[in-house]
Amino acid sequence: MVTRNGTTQTSCLVESLTLRALTSLPGLVLILVLPLNSHADNDQSLNFNQDIRPILSDKCFRCHGPDATHRKADLRLDEETDAKRVRESYQVIKPMDPKGSALVDRIVSEEPEEQMPPPESNKALTEAEKQTLIQWIQEGAPWDVHWAYQAPRKTAPPSVQNKEWPLNWIDNWILKSQEMNQLAPNKETSPSVLLRRLSYDLLGLPPSSEEVQAFEADPSEAHYEALIKRYLASPHFGERMATYWLDLVRYADTVGYHGDQDHNISPYRDWVIQAFNEDLPFDQFTEAQLAGDLKPNATQDDLIASGYNRLLQTSHEGGVQPKEYLAIYAADRVRNVSSVWLGGTLGCAQCHDHKYDPYTAHDFYAMSAFFADLDEESHFKTGTNALPTRRAPEIHVLSRWQRDELEDWTSRLPSLHGPNAELAKRQIANLKKEARLTMISKSKTPRTVRILPRGNWLDETGEIVEPAVPSFLGQLEDVKSRASRLDLAAWLTQPHGIGPFTARVQANRLWSLFFGRGLARSLDDIGAQGTPPTHPELLDNLAIYFVDQGWSVKRLIQAMVMSRTYRQSSVPHKQVVNLDPANDYFTRQERYRLQAEFIRDNALMIAGLLQLDIGGPSMKPYQPEGYYKHLNFPKRTYYHSTDRQQWRRGLYVHWQRQFLHPMLRATDAPSREECTSTRPQSNTPLAALALLNDPTFVEAARALAEKALLSHPGTDNPQKTIAWLFERTMKRPPDEREHFELERLLEDTKREFESNPEQARRFNSVGQSAPNPNLDPIHLAAWSSVSRALLNLNESFTRN
Amino acid sequence: MEAPSPYALNRRTFLSQAGFGLGAAALHALASNEAQGSNASLAQKKIQHHTAKAKRVIFLCMAGGPSHLETFDYKPDLDRLDGKPMPDSFTAGQPIAQLQGQKLKVQGHLTRFQNYGQSGQEISDFLPWHAKMADKICVLRSMHTEQINHDPAHTFMNTGTPISGRPSMGAWINYGLGSESKSLPGFVVLSSVGGRNPQPIASRQWGAGFLPGQFQGVELSSSGEPAYYVRNPHGVTRHQQRRLVETLSHLNRHRNQIEANQDIEARIAAYEMAFQMQSSVPELMDISDESQETLAMYGANPGDGSYASNCLLARRLIERGVRFVQLYHRGWDHHGDLVKYMDICCGLTDRPTWALVTDLERRGLLDDTLIVWGGEFGRTPMFQGKGGPGRDHHIKGFSMWLAGGGIKGGLTYGATDELGYHAVENTVHVRDLHATMLYLLGLDNQRLSVPYQGLDMRLTGVEPANVIYPILA
Repeated sequence: MVTRNGTTQTSCLVESLTLRALTSLPGLVLILVLPLNSHADNDQSLNFNQDIRPILSDKCFRCHGPDATHRKADLRLDEETDAKRVRESYQVIKPMDPKGSALVDRIVSEEPEEQMPPPESNKALTEAEKQTLIQWIQEGAPWDVHWAYQAPRKTAPPSVQNKEWPLNWIDNWILKSQEMNQLAPNKETSPSVLLRRLSYDLLGLPPSSEEVQAFEADPSEAHYEALIKRYLASPHFGERMATYWLDLVRYADTVGYHGDQDHNISPYRDWVIQAFNEDLPFDQFTEAQLAGDLKPNATQDDLIASGYNRLLQTSHEGGVQPKEYLAIYAADRVRNVSSVWLGGTLGCAQCHDHKYDPYTAHDFYAMSAFFADLDEESHFKTGTNALPTRRAPEIHVLSRWQRDELEDWTSRLPSLHGPNAELAKRQIANLKKEARLTMISKSKTPRTVRILPRGNWLDETGEIVEPAVPSFLGQLEDVKSRASRLDLAAWLTQPHGIGPFTARVQANRLWSLFFGRGLARSLDDIGAQGTPPTHPELLDNLAIYFVDQGWSVKRLIQAMVMSRTYRQSSVPHKQVVNLDPANDYFTRQERYRLQAEFIRDNALMIAGLLQLDIGGPSMKPYQPEGYYKHLNFPKRTYYHSTDRQQWRRGLYVHWQRQFLHPMLRATDAPSREECTSTRPQSNTPLAALALLNDPTFVEAARALAEKALLSHPGTDNPQKTIAWLFERTMKRPPDEREHFELERLLEDTKREFESNPEQARRFNSVGQSAPNPNLDPIHLAAWSSVSRALLNLNESFTRN
Repeated sequence: MEAPSPYALNRRTFLSQAGFGLGAAALHALASNEAQGSNASLAQKKIQHHTAKAKRVIFLCMAGGPSHLETFDYKPDLDRLDGKPMPDSFTAGQPIAQLQGQKLKVQGHLTRFQNYGQSGQEISDFLPWHAKMADKICVLRSMHTEQINHDPAHTFMNTGTPISGRPSMGAWINYGLGSESKSLPGFVVLSSVGGRNPQPIASRQWGAGFLPGQFQGVELSSSGEPAYYVRNPHGVTRHQQRRLVETLSHLNRHRNQIEANQDIEARIAAYEMAFQMQSSVPELMDISDESQETLAMYGANPGDGSYASNCLLARRLIERGVRFVQLYHRGWDHHGDLVKYMDICCGLTDRPTWALVTDLERRGLLDDTLIVWGGEFGRTPMFQGKGGPGRDHHIKGFSMWLAGGGIKGGLTYGATDELGYHAVENTVHVRDLHATMLYLLGLDNQRLSVPYQGLDMRLTGVEPANVIYPILA
């Protein structure tokens, strides 16, 4: 064991070593920070997509890229032919001849008039970047299509030296990259940590202590696989995955703009949960959301799913100009559909052609035309400041499980008599009363869509456009008349067309859920300015696998969590931190704070308060008074849920876009005004205040203490109770120091409550549940303080 | 057991994540300091593109859009044409809010203007206390914006784009400069009671967008709870809370000998700062320790949640190192009964605003504090009659004012046309205002950028933004 002092010394020592390395061995540093397959190894030539394109894109494309209106010197550096074209007296890039390449003259020039990029662009090239470009021209300036616009390729897993290590093909790719860089994988983590990780990752919930004990007793491969299957089959898997998907599609319970009134959409959330639970293939999942209403024989579920098209922010402010808002809505939809499915930033082409990717303004408006058949105008007239507001078209629906129950009762009714028949009728009537309104899509004659010059909705001189996919990605086939949202959905998931591209975007995001980052780090920009993947072949193979396995999300996830890469310890090995500081090679698992909703779920689950029923209307947790004071039209009074609804999972929390619940906001949950692929990880005092003082967590601490005291009657052995509490929260036994600190906290707190029993009574009364009357209030209050400490310990809400 | 891993990145990670954080460039500076083995004081590190003239900002946001034609922009022709049809030459092809489809007629000034101070600045009778500081403020009469509805117009004013969810100016400025306070957030938002049916304001107006969360604005309140979750749970004493946080620090550090997690020190610091805030924030928000003279000067009554109390709080906040205070008064949407509501809103805000400027000046704080006053847009020269005469939203020309650090007082800059419709002379776009604010703080709007979704994002966006040099002292 290293003492605290010892640790500090070690860290100083290592810090100074690192610094020396940084200052005295720049070459070494370069090797460490360059991406995979870089030219660091002299035997390897440069890779255009890895080494060259990111430089050209960031530093040159703004003026020499796809955007024709802002292009300078009639030069495109995003196109090989133009870049290498022989011009009147010069050539910009002359392969194998840096001296004969105007580009080189310009990038090394120190004359402000000559220098590229020009000084006023604030886009200087580093010396290393200049050398890289020169070396590349020397090597013949080989070009390649941008990796994100090359179809994913299926390749055989590479062979590796350590043949024992890989458990599946994913591991081969990871290990290969490590071996090429003289790195080795981390050791496997302990069964208890692994199970906890798996449970958080697949369910968003902690495992039970019994599950942990069973897995510790039998950590076999078969047991692990059985656990994965069990979790994937759990109804809570859908909740966990919905939490991810709802960020992308910007699901919320309110309209977002101005009055931020409620709108009706919660059945869509429940459909998403259901779809993940049923492993609805991703192509069908896509079709239902974009165009469920257009499917022949559309089912009620299809209609609910088509609520996707209604999730955008809308305004009910007096004095909005419909044409302006129709343009805003159209842009919102283009941004979202291109982000979610293509990982693209087509939204940037609203005013002009894209500066970095080959998207044109025409592509932007042609994409928006797919959605021109949706009725958005009526709410300008009929939408009100009421709660909820009206946003036709809406339909009354029952959830899937309610429908099943209704059908059951209805089919049995004819055979029932007397009191039984009465009961059935009552049940049927009650169920029907539970129907919820939900917004759906309904096609009407499409609006005329024009290109808006510079995005200006007042300018109606632009060309009229029909629905079409971005032209550089191909075109729709077999479309006889005007293309529809159905055609768009089919195109996005066409296995022999753009489908594998879509699959790559999804696989990259899913990977990030289980490994802490995407294989390409920029989850929301799989384009020229995005970060190239560290493991491009692996990403391609995951995409192909996803399509080949019938777009099964569950099978793709299973492959990821079955890998040995997934099972590595997250505690980095000493050398590894220096050799792979950013974990480019997955030499360890990642660890991070649970996401906002799961922090709540975790505390409530450990406390035994969590209600585990699936779906239903949104609920309202305790919330500080006055939190909605800035809302108006109408003014809002917040009433928290007063029944067991109060303890439901975080994904059911009423999602008020303008004022998201302060605990969720403090822990980085997004407002869902726009697509969110990556939640930031802040670490602020506001989050600490929420977890310390939010009644939800105080009540959970008391409930947890009650459980501990009831399972350990008698007060003579606090050690046992501490061990029980600790084990339940952390899934491991406390060590001596932990025992000591918690016992001291218990004694100190107890002494204080003893001298002021009224304080104990007040503390015990936080939350809507009554404290157990059979427990001594002072005793309970003191133990609640211990549970409060446990629920605030970093480890308790860290996935590691 | 595994060997503890190095903490090589610890210090930087800690500084970038803990609490309300250093600014972005502070981290750059730190990195190079580390490389040179320097121990220069970290708290002073920040981005500085050029010499700053101001260290902090108080943004007095008159939400709803005050009428420039009843505050700072006098147009004789407006009175001459009162009641006549608004000439088409002004309005053809222009965006219109609530007056869509209605006959447009000119509404003359609903008050009188007089010249004040040595500068002779024109100020309306609604603002007698502004008149007293005519030589301290610089009125921009040629503001224009792009959004005609409140919500996107606020978003535009605060974040430089109508697209929801981008970082607000207070977040950008803290990202650049960091906070000077150890126990308070660098960006504080205050909202005032009173006035007309208040404008709704979304929390995105002080959001951090894609910048780290510690740069977001934090709402503090001068009535009721001073901040969310800042009070201990019922029955928990300060001593108990301290013991709890101490225990957390001990146990987190202890466990980290095994986990070697770089984030832990940041989390410990966040909890410790949270605990400090539990006393520093209520202490700060309680203005009852101010002298009677000062309270009277502002017209503030402790605990009333008024604009007056908030002006006094703004001073207390910047005294304690807060970088950006945004103070909302939400009563300025005067579609009708404009005179009545101007009387109310000016009655609530005119004197406290003067008191703030005067108080800062006498305490020597005005020289390096930039004060900005204005709404998200102005109001039409055309009549609107919801009740008595009023005016609709107007974006093509309106007034704001600046005062304090680096600003020439007593100046009127720019002009609208003869009816106060279009900004025509020395026009100032919202972007230009942003660029000027950043400039005064020592920041170059083009260089204060962060890559996001493939673009170098800036507060001023992709279009050119101009610093308004003529108004700088």
